Amino acid sequence: MRFFRQDLHTLTGAYALDALEPGNELTRFNRHLSRCQSCASEVRGFREVATAMAFAATTDPPTEMRDQVMAAVARTRQLPPEVRTHVRPRRTRSAAPWIPWLSGAIATAGIVLAVLFGFAQAHTQNELNQARAQNQALAAAQARVEAALNQAREHDQALAEILGAPHVTLLSQRTSKGGVAVVVLDAAKRQLVVATSGLPALPAGKVYQLWLIGPVKIVSAGLLPTAQAGVTTPVVATGIVKGDKLGLTVEPAGGSKQPTTVPILALPLPV
Amino acid sequence: MNPNDSDASRFRSATADRRGERDLDDLLIHVARGDQVAFEALYDRMAGPVYGVIRRVLRDPSQSEEVAQEVLLEVWRTAARFDPAMGGAATWVTTIAHRRAIDRIRSTTAAADREHKTADVSPPHDEVAEAVEASLDRERVRRCLESLTEIQRESITLAYYGGHSYRQVAELLNVTLGAIKTRIRDGLIRMRDCLGVS
Repeated sequence: MRFFRQDLHTLTGAYALDALEPGNELTRFNRHLSRCQSCASEVRGFREVATAMAFAATTDPPTEMRDQVMAAVARTRQLPPEVRTHVRPRRTRSAAPWIPWLSGAIATAGIVLAVLFGFAQAHTQNELNQARAQNQALAAAQARVEAALNQAREHDQALAEILGAPHVTLLSQRTSKGGVAVVVLDAAKRQLVVATSGLPALPAGKVYQLWLIGPVKIVSAGLLPTAQAGVTTPVVATGIVKGDKLGLTVEPAGGSKQPTTVPILALPLPV
Repeated sequence: MNPNDSDASRFRSATADRRGERDLDDLLIHVARGDQVAFEALYDRMAGPVYGVIRRVLRDPSQSEEVAQEVLLEVWRTAARFDPAMGGAATWVTTIAHRRAIDRIRSTTAAADREHKTADVSPPHDEVAEAVEASLDRERVRRCLESLTEIQRESITLAYYGGHSYRQVAELLNVTLGAIKTRIRDGLIRMRDCLGVS
């Protein structure tokens, strides 16, 4: 669906009340917001109204909550200051504006974002859990994802659609050769986004190829792009059927019609 | 502020009025440096609005408490990311709270749970009315909401307190999407002026 600027501008109100559903519209609005000063200032004013409404709803929390929060605070490490700000006008073309929303949705859903895009590789599971608790993982993963996405503009629409879907599942698995594959699965639409980190570099003339390995047939899901600093840019795969696993093999340059080597990854996709 | 300028004092920023917004900003800056005593003071000021807004959206007390705890811990953890240029501390904290409540609704299991629990939701203006006590905030918000047209008021309360997307609000009120977008925005402009948000 296309929106005129006018339409986008009138979304300031709904946006300030968190009433935009994740998806294309939110993506577009975020992008618009990053280059529309007057919209940003309107949103700020509306957020103050929302703040007043929150204060008007003031309710005493259960008394034991205070001790619980303070105890949690005492054992929780704080994040260092961030270098970037929420609105980044100078990066309007390359920024991934859905990320703040995505991170919020996913973080609260309690999904292990820590393993995203290679952040996992240098850590033990324990360290990871700890890191997640501190939310550092989120920041690191965001930075990684954002960097990866800069390379994947042509997929922007499809990516945004999947990543913004209301009920995505995050899956991750180490490959048998090291490194990790991370999948954001939109089961409802039977599509996914996959990125990898830390896969071993291949000799010239070899590529990594993705497969949807089903009970009946195996379908190519495309080649993995060359890794940048160990991270491959996200690839979109569609048309997943029940029973499919996401496979990864090493193939001759240009890819194969069917796998010619043993998969180094076979990740079940619950659709 | 010029004390002779009654308009200026009447239209003082809603947040500036609110028990010293500047103090809250300062507190948060201390919290960012790991000051747990400052966090306790911040908790005492913000736990009520945080829990209140989450409770309003989610309704279920135990879920609300859980989300409120997550939010307050997130405030502690990410205090260094607070940027006063982007808005006041109260706004920063309540925005996180509202978003996390919405996130919770949108996660699958919570959604079903909430459908169940909100089966007999009272109309939005009753919600506002029931919130009215002696509090200045409540009184002022109530007064300002009353100054809106009915559809503006319903759109805003269904979206913010009800945690509905504007598409859902359009559906609930049987109005076109375009109209809802405009009503919410126009209503917020009126609220902003009424509350004296700068």
